[in-house]
Amino acid sequence: MSDLQEQEIVVKVKRFNKEKGDWWQEYKLKVDRFTQMTEVLRRIKTEQDPTLAYRASCHMAVCGSCGMKINGEPRLACKTLALDMVKKYGKNEITLEPMDYFPVIKDLIVDWDNFYERMFKVKPRLYPSKEVLEGKAEHRLKPEDQRELWKFEQCIWCGLCVSACPSVRNDPDFLGPAAHAKGYRFLADPRDTIYEERLKILIDSSWRCTYCYQCFNVCPRDVEPVTTIKKTRAHTKFLTNKTPVANTGEKHIESIVKSIEDTGKIEEAKVYISTYGLVTTIKDMIYAMQNGKLKYALISEAKVKNIDQIRKIIGEEK
Amino acid sequence: MEKLSYDAIVIGGGLAGLMAAHEIAVNGYKVAVISKVFPTRSHSSSAEGGIAAYIEENSDPNDNPDYMSYDTIKGGDYLVDQDAAELLSMRSGEIVRIMESWGTLFNRQPDGRVAVRYFGGQTYPRTRFVGDKTGMALLHALFQRVSGLDNIDFYNEWFSLDLVRDDKRIVGVVAMEMKSMNPVFFKAKAIVMATGGMGMLYAHSTNAYINTGDGYSMALRAGAALKDPEFVQFHPTALYPSDILISEAARGEGAILINNKGERFMQRYAPKKLDLAPRDIVSRSIITEIREGRGFPGGYVGLDLRHLGEEYIKERLALAYEAALSFSGVDATKEPIPVRPAQHYYMGGIDVDITGMNSDLIGLFAAGEAACVSVHGANRLGSNSLLETLVFGRETGRAVAKFLESHTEDSNSLDNEVDKIVDDAYKYTKSESGVHFGEILNKLRNVMWDEVGIYRDEDHLKDAISQINQLREMSKTMYVTDKSKTYNTEFFNALELRNMLDLAIVIAQSALNRKESRGAHFRTDYPQRDDDNWLKHTISYLKGNTVEITYKPVRMTKWKPEPRVY
Repeated sequence: MSDLQEQEIVVKVKRFNKEKGDWWQEYKLKVDRFTQMTEVLRRIKTEQDPTLAYRASCHMAVCGSCGMKINGEPRLACKTLALDMVKKYGKNEITLEPMDYFPVIKDLIVDWDNFYERMFKVKPRLYPSKEVLEGKAEHRLKPEDQRELWKFEQCIWCGLCVSACPSVRNDPDFLGPAAHAKGYRFLADPRDTIYEERLKILIDSSWRCTYCYQCFNVCPRDVEPVTTIKKTRAHTKFLTNKTPVANTGEKHIESIVKSIEDTGKIEEAKVYISTYGLVTTIKDMIYAMQNGKLKYALISEAKVKNIDQIRKIIGEEK
Repeated sequence: MEKLSYDAIVIGGGLAGLMAAHEIAVNGYKVAVISKVFPTRSHSSSAEGGIAAYIEENSDPNDNPDYMSYDTIKGGDYLVDQDAAELLSMRSGEIVRIMESWGTLFNRQPDGRVAVRYFGGQTYPRTRFVGDKTGMALLHALFQRVSGLDNIDFYNEWFSLDLVRDDKRIVGVVAMEMKSMNPVFFKAKAIVMATGGMGMLYAHSTNAYINTGDGYSMALRAGAALKDPEFVQFHPTALYPSDILISEAARGEGAILINNKGERFMQRYAPKKLDLAPRDIVSRSIITEIREGRGFPGGYVGLDLRHLGEEYIKERLALAYEAALSFSGVDATKEPIPVRPAQHYYMGGIDVDITGMNSDLIGLFAAGEAACVSVHGANRLGSNSLLETLVFGRETGRAVAKFLESHTEDSNSLDNEVDKIVDDAYKYTKSESGVHFGEILNKLRNVMWDEVGIYRDEDHLKDAISQINQLREMSKTMYVTDKSKTYNTEFFNALELRNMLDLAIVIAQSALNRKESRGAHFRTDYPQRDDDNWLKHTISYLKGNTVEITYKPVRMTKWKPEPRVY
């Protein structure tokens, strides 16, 4: 505990302003094993370079202000100790950059408008019954429901998951991991009264996630947005008038289950055909052939031994 | 300059501000919430332990709101306005019910009702909680609720420069969008200051970086008084060096404080209560150890949990364990947690009555930590601050709605006044050379910590006042090096420093003035509480460079002052 040895580190910050464009700037300072990256930034600003712009508020990982890329990783600066990064990367130089995906306003400060738009799209609030609102009835919530919902409610709108998400970048109709976590937290709340409206908002988007798990990896509160997307997909069956994306998604799951029931394995080619239909499959096969990938699609799978046991498990699950 | 008109403006988007805005809006008025951060980034999110509430049918059968009021009054060393404490207790159950109905995920009892736990100073257990992140849970639930209302406009990341007044009324506020640096005059008949606390005035504080006392200073410059500004609460166990709060629960579970010789030093200062002596005594003891060379290099002592065993620590003291690990790299099962006292809460604030109304300026209201209602007196009880933000945020919002019903007259054109506010902000930072904000800021925080901190006496306070005056003088030629017209945080930091300097001089002068020790205000030269001369509120105005002090009686209802022994 008393080991307060100081070590000099080099902090390289990717700077930007409208007038000058972007450039890298280097600062040197001494830190000890306790120094948080927010403290590094505060000291640079008050002692070396007051022009450096960044956001920080609570310094205890509950407000979500200080998201940025530290040595390329999306992280909260407050939840990152400088010397931990030095140890992890084996060099005393730490790079700081603004989060990806968000447009940069100045230095490490990014624009949040699009993120908030996505969050508000999922109606991020409880819609309780009239009786409860007026104080005529009381909510009772089982402790286990409270625990389950609290895991997902802990999203602090820090945006790290969105900055790390490839789907959000490629697909404008995907709401993004944070909005899905928030949306599911209310979809699953037994006290809420707008279940069907929430389904309409969430289901199509939930089938646009690619399950890359980046949101899971970077979340500083262990919210597991990808888990909420999985759990949301399970509600697809309750939605009438499904969008093509949701329909395809459902078909895809059904054909995977069928393939496992038949052979104990996922037969990629068969699953593809029954998910996307013959016409799309032929088009995609030609594309695959042109790119020399067809051989991977046509691997034939032998039925596993003891298939009966697998069928039995599936039967129990169903 | 662009002008926007609202019925009411709320400055600050934490719990008190959002609750006030909610009440004004549901009464049919158009309201703007101006905050220098996105509302969920407010300091309310950092509150840990819980919110005190007496809930009928869901409290100890022997408990009642009177016990709750008594606990609050005694805890506040009798400087509490007793009608305010009674209102706080009376409304506590309803507030928790409302927050529950809006979706707050309170921890539950097996039968599904809101759970409860003990907190310091409570005769019966009253604290309702969401794990150890109660503030975050409440703030998100309330923000989510309020963001669904139509007649509230949010101005997030807008920095309020100054209030605009005519000869007796509040007329509006000038605020600047931080992204575009574009100043706008927000005209309104009523303004609620819900700007939170001021921890950044002190070198060590558990507060967020954004807590720079902006509201107190804006009110002072507009001519309103602060009540009891000398009362600053310090918490004995803040994590070194980040000053994140390590809850009193740790010592409640048996953790002990040790110095660099491995001694359990509280034996010297409080032989009976030891590590569980009141916050102010433990804070003073730790500082003495450090000053006399028995702290660890860097200035801290150890909070030793090791004898409790790994399993017990991880289960019962999860936050202390996690915070120590994440923020100080210390495994509390293997080594003591490094702690030191830090500024924690500000009992003083904008002088308001129990409706949140200020009597100096028509149309000025305040709620939450920005206000002094005064419900905490000389020392706040744990889990009463979250309660205060919501109860008095709501009372204030209702009072504003009532005020708007009866106050329809319009004020004169004040365009000159408005331009002057912007000029003042820029003038303050127009020099082409000189000191940066950081140099003055670091000096100020050290002066406040060393001389207007846990121990106070006449000599040090006088020295602090002279140093603060020098810093105020120095700040007149402060130099902002960043000339950028986009999100110029250096400019806003300079304005925050202006606010901190205005508040600092008022705190120091008021502390010098009160010649007794009461609650968090400890004078080594006057170590006793003196009810004969000092059972009264300090009322401080800032007139230029002079602090003018008057007094107000403490409002008593049923409880006579008695010695504060536990």
